[in-house]
Amino acid sequence: MSRWFGYDQRSAAILVFPVVAVLLAVAAFPILYSFWISLHDIVLTRPLRRPFVWFENYGRVFEDPRFWVAVWRTTVYTVVTVVVTTILAVLVALLLNETFPGQRVLSALLLLPWATPSVVNGLMWKWIYDPNYGLLNGLLLQAGLIERYRVWLGDPDLTLLLVANAATWKQMPLAALLLIVTMKAIPDDLYRAAKVDGATVFQRFVHITLPALRPGLMLVLVYETMLSIRHFDLFLIMTQGGPDDATFVMSWLVYVETFRSLRFGTGAAMAYILAMATFLLSWAFIRFLGKRL
Amino acid sequence: MDGTGLPLSRRQVASLLAGGATLAAAGAHAQARGTVTFIGWSAAVDQVRAHITAFERATGIRVNYENFPWAQFRTALVTRLVGNAPIDVSWVSDAWLPEFAEAGWLADINDIPDLMRYNAEAAAYCTQSMTYRGRQYGLAYYGDHMSFMVNTDILRRAGISAPPTTWDEVIEQSLRIKQQNISEFPLLLSLAADTWLIEFVSALTFSFGGRFVDDAGAAVMQDANRGAVRAAAFLRDAIHRHRVLSPGAVETGEINGLRAFGTGAHAFAIVPTYRIRALNDPSQSPAAGNIRIALMPRGGPQGTNETCGWIRFYGMTPGAKNDRARRANAVRFMEFFGGRDTEGNYSLQRLLLTDLGLPFCTTPLASDPAVQEFWTRWAGGGEVIAQQSALARKKDVISPWFGEWVETSNQVWQAVCLNRAEPAAAMQTAATRWTALQRAFR
Repeated sequence: MSRWFGYDQRSAAILVFPVVAVLLAVAAFPILYSFWISLHDIVLTRPLRRPFVWFENYGRVFEDPRFWVAVWRTTVYTVVTVVVTTILAVLVALLLNETFPGQRVLSALLLLPWATPSVVNGLMWKWIYDPNYGLLNGLLLQAGLIERYRVWLGDPDLTLLLVANAATWKQMPLAALLLIVTMKAIPDDLYRAAKVDGATVFQRFVHITLPALRPGLMLVLVYETMLSIRHFDLFLIMTQGGPDDATFVMSWLVYVETFRSLRFGTGAAMAYILAMATFLLSWAFIRFLGKRL
Repeated sequence: MDGTGLPLSRRQVASLLAGGATLAAAGAHAQARGTVTFIGWSAAVDQVRAHITAFERATGIRVNYENFPWAQFRTALVTRLVGNAPIDVSWVSDAWLPEFAEAGWLADINDIPDLMRYNAEAAAYCTQSMTYRGRQYGLAYYGDHMSFMVNTDILRRAGISAPPTTWDEVIEQSLRIKQQNISEFPLLLSLAADTWLIEFVSALTFSFGGRFVDDAGAAVMQDANRGAVRAAAFLRDAIHRHRVLSPGAVETGEINGLRAFGTGAHAFAIVPTYRIRALNDPSQSPAAGNIRIALMPRGGPQGTNETCGWIRFYGMTPGAKNDRARRANAVRFMEFFGGRDTEGNYSLQRLLLTDLGLPFCTTPLASDPAVQEFWTRWAGGGEVIAQQSALARKKDVISPWFGEWVETSNQVWQAVCLNRAEPAAAMQTAATRWTALQRAFR
């Protein structure tokens, strides 16, 4: 070993070893072990029987009609959440990038939803949507937009969008913050020069702001997609996958399969499929969109 | 510091050693008496803690008590059992008994006469609910059933003299109440897809003379005459045709249903019997004093007054049973909690009823003056409750695959309530899933 590594390298290796060991124990081992579980037919209620089935669990997942329902629901939810969050974040970032009275207070307030714990956020929106005493019904009734209280989370056509709204409310501030930081780096000279050349506000946005926002937008897109595709807490608190299968997203399917049906083998396989999908999507964003943005 | 270089003087060290020895002796004494690790869900926590204190004082056995929310309890318990956590006694739902017994997570008590002797004083229904393949797996914590409750104030205001006896009459009376603008949705049912849903729909199905599975365990829920189709059709019509049941029922859980019924805005509801105390308690319910229990209405041509009953019980783990010391302590704990205390009284059972309204499985308590006073005070008498209790049936879908099947069942009942599936087709889906799981288990 001394032939390959000098004193400094050996010392560094010894000092780094505890951290690497902890990382291996708490990160690498669970990942590898859960993959190992996904290759077994493990049902907790039958503890004495756990045959090795190779990739059979993955096959079962693809044959399960619930899986395709969950894929579709997850896709709709992710697209809605990411698109709306990104658009709102750009608009909020544009607003807060300007100087006006109260701008600092507004910037601080912006962080409130982001700082709210996910569970509190879920409960808050569940109450807002409540069919008996919810704020939304009260406001809409007073505004004359509805004639009677509506059962918002009991409407299968609306529920997914209502959960997406709750997610957007919480996720948008961080996205806006990331974009504001990127905007602050754009030199004012560019805008001044464009103004001298007669560029309109819209032209300045399209030709100066948007191209300069590329790195920030990329970060927001990747981060929001990864977050939305794996979202679980709001579904647990607000809808439990229902009504019927209206909010039966992938993360809910993984939860039901693993912790309710206690099928750890197929549950682990589903979790791996979800993780791979997230990884591939993120990679695709960076690989293909990264060049264009 | 005394100049010897030691941070403490010799005298201080000697006193510490003496103190340590005393503590060690006390610890050894406590060790000799041992401990019992008991886990339950987060219900009756104050009453359980008080009884634990009494148990520790009476026996010298220490109790490690943990509780988890009901919604997560099964998962929490299973993961602990699989991980060989040192649990001695746990609360168990009758719905989990077959899968827990098959998995070897519960030990039978047939060879423990100190516990089995309580069968002589327990309702037969309760003992049967704790029995699987001829072996008994515990002592009852409480036993209850779904009751049909009416708000007598609303009925009086609507000019209705007697509560409905059939589900057709429920619709008819609800429409009268609705027409008089007394209540927008006179009927209240909690149909959120949670752990209670199967109990609600089982009660409804039994009252329509239907079943989910036959005596041989084959699915009959899809059968138009003897299955759950009529009950499902009733729900769909109540929501979408007669509009006497709110579409919000699909997102109303048991506890929210209780609160809603307590506001006095609804005339009829299916509610666990033990909730009668909260519903008639003025500090908890604006409708207090007006809620009464009627027999479950009969539905359709084969209707009965039957309802769905359930029990929760104290179960012992094999780990505790196979260890002599742990077993002795666990048996004493189960007896103290599920049987008589060291004074020979069913004190916890009485306390759970009088404090929380939780009905018991213990027959001698029925004649207890405190119990009779309780029913008179909170339910206007116990006759109807006793009648309904005798007509309670355990869920016929309890099986080793119940935990998996109920996910599908919950979903199809919701689909019917949302009018997204025909009752017959929905029950066929549930039946197909049942049969597939049954085959897989074999």
